[in-house]
Amino acid sequence: MADSTAEFFRELGRRGHEPLLEKAVGIVRFDLVEGKRTDRWLVTLDKGDVSVSRKNVAADCVVRGERALFDAMARGDVSGMAAYLRGELTLEGDPELLVLVQRVLPGPATRRARRTRTRGGSGQR
Amino acid sequence: MSDDLVKILDGNTFVVSDGRGDIEASLTDPTGLFSSDTRFLSKWVLTVDGQRLNSLSVDNLQYFETRFFLVPGTGTVYVDAKLSVIRQRAVGDGFREELTILNHDNTPVDLKVRVEAASDFADLFEVKDALEKKGKYTSRIEDGKLLLAYERETFKRSTVISATSPARIDENGLTFDVRLEPHGEWTTQIDVAATVPAVGKRSGGSARKRRRKNMEGNLERWLADAPRLECDWEPLRTTYRRSLVDLAALRFSPSITPGKSLPAAGLPWFMTMFGRDSIFTSLQALPFTPELAATTLRTLGLWQGTRIDDFRDEDPGRILHEMRYGEMTAFEERPHSPYYGCADATALYVVLLDEYERWTGDKKLVRELEYEARAALNWIDEYADLTGNGYVSYRRRNEKTGLENQCWKDSWDSISYRDGRLPAFPRATCELQGYAYDAKLRGARLAREIWKDPKLADELEKQAADLKRRFNRDFWVESDAYFALALDADGNQVDALSSNNGHLLWSGIVEKSKAKAVVRHLMGPRLFSGWGIRTLAEGEGRFNPIGYHVGTVWPFDNSFIAWGLRRYGFKQEAAQIAAGILNAAAFFDGRLPEAFGGYEQAETKYPVQYPTACSPQAWSTGAPLLLLRTILGLEPIGNHLVVDPALPSGIGALALLDIPGRWGRVDAFARGEIDLNRRRELQPQLGAPGQVAARRR
Repeated sequence: MADSTAEFFRELGRRGHEPLLEKAVGIVRFDLVEGKRTDRWLVTLDKGDVSVSRKNVAADCVVRGERALFDAMARGDVSGMAAYLRGELTLEGDPELLVLVQRVLPGPATRRARRTRTRGGSGQR
Repeated sequence: MSDDLVKILDGNTFVVSDGRGDIEASLTDPTGLFSSDTRFLSKWVLTVDGQRLNSLSVDNLQYFETRFFLVPGTGTVYVDAKLSVIRQRAVGDGFREELTILNHDNTPVDLKVRVEAASDFADLFEVKDALEKKGKYTSRIEDGKLLLAYERETFKRSTVISATSPARIDENGLTFDVRLEPHGEWTTQIDVAATVPAVGKRSGGSARKRRRKNMEGNLERWLADAPRLECDWEPLRTTYRRSLVDLAALRFSPSITPGKSLPAAGLPWFMTMFGRDSIFTSLQALPFTPELAATTLRTLGLWQGTRIDDFRDEDPGRILHEMRYGEMTAFEERPHSPYYGCADATALYVVLLDEYERWTGDKKLVRELEYEARAALNWIDEYADLTGNGYVSYRRRNEKTGLENQCWKDSWDSISYRDGRLPAFPRATCELQGYAYDAKLRGARLAREIWKDPKLADELEKQAADLKRRFNRDFWVESDAYFALALDADGNQVDALSSNNGHLLWSGIVEKSKAKAVVRHLMGPRLFSGWGIRTLAEGEGRFNPIGYHVGTVWPFDNSFIAWGLRRYGFKQEAAQIAAGILNAAAFFDGRLPEAFGGYEQAETKYPVQYPTACSPQAWSTGAPLLLLRTILGLEPIGNHLVVDPALPSGIGALALLDIPGRWGRVDAFARGEIDLNRRRELQPQLGAPGQVAARRR
């Protein structure tokens, strides 16, 4: 199975600037748990400038969950907020960062391509 | 919900009990201790020597604190009670109860004091719709505390109960063996903690004590910061204070973004973030507590839709409808994580942002939220025009648990033709077009003056002018001279006469030449009851004076209609609406319910409360505030506040002091007419301006 989480983070890192994350300043660490193993992704946010790495450093917000759950979220099959409310996703640190980061998660795959824009993107400056 | 219930609240934690302080909830009734949309206590019953207690009095000390004076005995006659029981309860991350028993006798007494406790951990949606639970319950004793817990997979909720005095704890409650000397006193503190492991950690005892001190200081500051009202008509002073205190109580800090608060919608069902309600309430309260608007804008912006998700009716740029934290939302049996199915909040978001800047001059926030405001404006054009006819319309994509009517009149039968038939979807209700028009014009001002984008400003103004022209042609019911409630899926008029016409005045979409005819309908006998304007006109197929959105009078609705009347220069009519609603408020001790019956004033003499209305409810709480703004004629123009009063008769003098805004603080004064002959009445009522003169003639 494709590693959709890795794909998601790599793509996020390539964006360079993401207007949806302009309100965020801080480091969010994602801990992906699989058995005894924990994989880490580190997302550094600075007013819309996004960089992604695998370093293990102190973060302002740590989001922890099963690897399969992260894969499902990255595919758009599972809502990050609902997973958080269920307790499948746990959080340490600043919760506002999680609210901001979940904005870049995709929606359900079946509907993603349904609409095409007739005019420019939303909120382009 | 019955009115003899005692309710205390703090944010989204609240306790609803009977007059003794006891809770014995059935699945369907909203009594208990609730937090984050979950019931943490469904049973909480105090006995002394096996006997229930009787209530002598209840003191509501603060919105978060109450005191019950009780005596033993269940009969109707309790002569010569030898004991008094005082139960003082304060809410905050659960609640804390101080239990005191006084012996009035000359002999010592031994008592068995018992508190029975249980929880069904019902989701508020389950209470509302009477549904069954899917998880497991446990009850056990841990470290001298009673722990009630519920578990469904990774979803865990628990209630931890502890006391400061020695107690025998079993799985169903706590028992205290108390010996009271002659005229002696015994007291204990019982702590009930509602814990949600996923949604933040609960603070410890000393932190809670600090919090409580903060709450008291916080309320005092809140009241001191608000403008001071002076008025010779006493009920208005009461209503004003009640509104400010209730607004403080309804402030809600979403648990995932702590430290900031915005108005929640209303107790008991809607103690959560609602896009529409939070925006309308923030608009009403702008001249009084502008910080509510700032938080509402920031928080709703943070949750603005970013993707297409049919289950949540989410689109990019759409402002949320409702956020919930309970079990059914967590397991996606309900879409509220958050749910986006409303067609008005997105345009209203831009309206609030502009109105906020006009009052406060806070350009920084307007720059900070430029992306969100542009995305909202974009949503109106890209996602809200479902039929391609150039009008905002709605049809839910979540057909199972989504909302059918995505306008403020959101009950199933609210949108109808004159003959009572219901139109097919999509429906384009008229007020949505007004909000879109207003959002475009206000967005244009922000674009020109603050975002420095004259091209966008020109484009928005052009769109607005076009929308206004088409709207006045397509929605105008020519035969009777008012605006249709909606256009149906085929673009035909849904032709019932409704209060929505008043919202159109507020938005400014009504052509000047049509305003007089609209006002004649609003103030005419089919819509105006004497207390206020009915949601639907008498004589329409679905009219029912106690139908939720088809005949009742909503104070919130009326406050915006009054604002709209002022906008078109109908000062006297605005004052008449204010008179009716403020008279009604006096009957409810200053706390207006969500809605009251649309009966003729002359028929009932007092306003009949809608049976299951929420109370307090945020936008009813805000209604007197907006009415005050309206009768004083407060309008920010540049860096000045213009005051142009038109008071109802019965108010001789009105002053609002220290109104905050971009001008610093200013005072507004107004004088009106009073009828000296009516002064002797027990409860003088306000009237339409000019009434006094008429009576004198």
